[in-house]
Amino acid sequence: MLARAGALPVEDDRWAHENNSTTAKATVQGRELKLSNLAKVLYPLTGFTKRKLIDYYAAIAPVMIGHLAGRPLTVTRWPDGVQGKSFFQKQAPAHRPEWVRTVSLPSERKPIDYALAEDLPTLVWLANLAAIELHTPLARAEAIDRPTALVFDLDPGAPATIVECCHVGLQLQGMFENLGLQSYAKTSGSKGLQVYVPLNAETYSYADTKPFAKAVAELLERSEPDLVVSRMRKSRRAGKVLIDWSQNDARKTTVCAYSLRATERPTASTPVEWSEVRSTLERSDPTSLAFEAHQVLERVADRGDLFAPVLSLVQELPAH
Amino acid sequence: MPRAMWTGAISFGMVTVPVKLYSALNRKSVRFHQLSGKTGVRVIQKRIDPQTGEEVPYEDVVKGYEIAPERYVVIEPGELETLQPKKTKTIEIEDFVELSQIDPVFYDHPYYLVPTPGGAKPYRLLLEAMRETGKVAIARVVIRSKEQLVALRPMGDVLGMATMIFADEILPPERLDEVSEAAEVKTTKRELDIARQLVDSLAVEFEPGRYSDTYREEVLALIERKAQGREIAVQPPAEEVAAPAPDLMSALKASLDAVRAREGEGGARRRKPAAKDAAGKKPATRKPAASRGAAKR
Repeated sequence: MLARAGALPVEDDRWAHENNSTTAKATVQGRELKLSNLAKVLYPLTGFTKRKLIDYYAAIAPVMIGHLAGRPLTVTRWPDGVQGKSFFQKQAPAHRPEWVRTVSLPSERKPIDYALAEDLPTLVWLANLAAIELHTPLARAEAIDRPTALVFDLDPGAPATIVECCHVGLQLQGMFENLGLQSYAKTSGSKGLQVYVPLNAETYSYADTKPFAKAVAELLERSEPDLVVSRMRKSRRAGKVLIDWSQNDARKTTVCAYSLRATERPTASTPVEWSEVRSTLERSDPTSLAFEAHQVLERVADRGDLFAPVLSLVQELPAH
Repeated sequence: MPRAMWTGAISFGMVTVPVKLYSALNRKSVRFHQLSGKTGVRVIQKRIDPQTGEEVPYEDVVKGYEIAPERYVVIEPGELETLQPKKTKTIEIEDFVELSQIDPVFYDHPYYLVPTPGGAKPYRLLLEAMRETGKVAIARVVIRSKEQLVALRPMGDVLGMATMIFADEILPPERLDEVSEAAEVKTTKRELDIARQLVDSLAVEFEPGRYSDTYREEVLALIERKAQGREIAVQPPAEEVAAPAPDLMSALKASLDAVRAREGEGGARRRKPAAKDAAGKKPATRKPAASRGAAKR
C-alpha cells in the first residue's frame, strides 16, 4: 500500500536520482528512465516543479493505477507549465520506451495507439513528459463499448461554484440511494464535482447508460430549472450547474481519479466522502473541496482509496 | 502600448507635420499551428527541390516569374532592389477631396497618425482645417519599400490614414454577368414603396460594437474547453439518445421527489445557505480542519 507522506518514493531505493540536478537517470522497478528539466516550474503560483509532478505521480501510483488499468489514455501535456502552451495527446508518443504498453483502437481516420498506464514506470515516464492531466474513458480497451460506471459531470457556470455542485450531487446521491444504487463523488480537480455510479457488469453498453444519464439530468433540470441545466449551451449557464450526461459516450473521456489538473494550483481530481460534500454545502465553502497534490497523498494515507468501490461494486440499473 | 511602425512627416505645400504611424487594426482571428498528429510536435516547413529531393538553402532561392507554362524569367534579389521606390520619410499630400466622393471599396488597411515632439501644433491645424472643410487628403507614402496611395481624414482628435486600393486593382462590377441582367428588371412604384417600408422598419443607428465574430468566439470556446481537458466530440443529435421507458422515468421521478421531501424537512440543504448559518453551524460529523488538510488555503 501507499507510503505515508514524508516517505515518498523519491527517497526510495526503487527510485533514485540526484537531488539538485535538472536531469537524472532513474531506475524504476527495473526500467531505465532519463528524467529531464526537473527544476522546471510547472505551476508558477506555487512553485510546483516537474520533479514534484513526478514525485506525486510516483507516490499516488499504487492507488491510481487501478483506475487507469486497461483504459486507453488521453493526456494533456504542458511542457512549459500550466501558463504555457498545451496539447492533447491520444496517440502514445512515438519515442516511447519499448516497455510502455499500448492498445490500438479504431478512430474516424486511422487507428490510434493509446498508451496504457498500468505500472509505476509508465506513470513516471508520462510525468516526465509534463503530462499533467490523465483522462480515461468509462470503459476498458478489451470491451470498449461497455462502460464500467455511469458518470455525471457537474460543471458550475460562474458565479456558481462547487458549492452548487454539491447540492446537485447530493440530490443525485439521494435519488440513486432510493433506487438501491451506491454512488461516489470526486472533485474534478478544477471547479466541478463528478458523481460516479459503479456498474462493473458487462451487460451494459453506452446505449443503456447514456439515455439513463440524460433522463436523470433532464429530470433534475425540470425539477430545479433555476439551478440545473442539462445542455452545454453557455448563455443559459450563468449561476447554474451543468449536469453533463454526454460523457457517457465511447468517444469521450473524463479526468481520471487522482489526476492533477492544469489549474493555477496543483489540485487533483480527488475522491471525497458524501459527508464532506454535505459539509461543503452547509458551510458554503468552495475551498474545502480543493486538494493539492500533497493533501491528496495525506488523504490517501489516512483513508485509502475512497474510489475503490467504483472499480469493484457490481450494480444494476433499474429495469427498463 | 502598441509600437509605431513608421516615423516620418506629412508634407503639404511648405508645411511638414512630424508623425508616427500605428496600425488601427488588431486582428483577432484565431491562428493555429501545425503539429504532427502522432507526436504532437510542431512541424517545420522545408524548401525541397523535388528533382534532387534535397533541401534548398534560403540563400539559393531566387524569384521566378512564370511567362508560359513551366517557363520562368529568373529575377535575382538585387535586380528588384534597383526598382524599389526611393525610401522617403514623407507622406506627400497631392490633393484634397470630398469624403463622400470616395467609395468605401477603395479603403484597405486603417492606420492612425499621431504627432511626434514638435508636431502638435501643425498636426492640430491640419486636423481642424480638414474637419472644417470636410475634406480628405489623398497622399502618397512609401511603407516597407512599397509605394502606397493613402487617404488622410480626421477621426475625432486623431488623424486616420487608410491605404487605398489602386483603381485598376478593383474588379469592375460590369464584368459580372448577373449585374447587367438584374439592372434590366422593371419595378413599379408600389413595389418600391413596400421595399422602402421594409428598409425603414429595420433602420437603426450603426453601432459597430453590436456585431461580433461569433465564429471566432465559438472557436475560442472550443479551445478553452479542450484546454481544460474536456474532450470535444460532436454532440449527437437529441434523437440519437432514446428515452427510457415510462415506468423507469416514474421510478426516477419518485426517488427524486423522496429526496426533495426529505430535504424539505431538514431545511438547511438549500443552495445558498445564508452566510451566518454557514459560519455559525458546524456539523458534529466534521473532523477538525487540521486533519483534513484542505482548510489551510
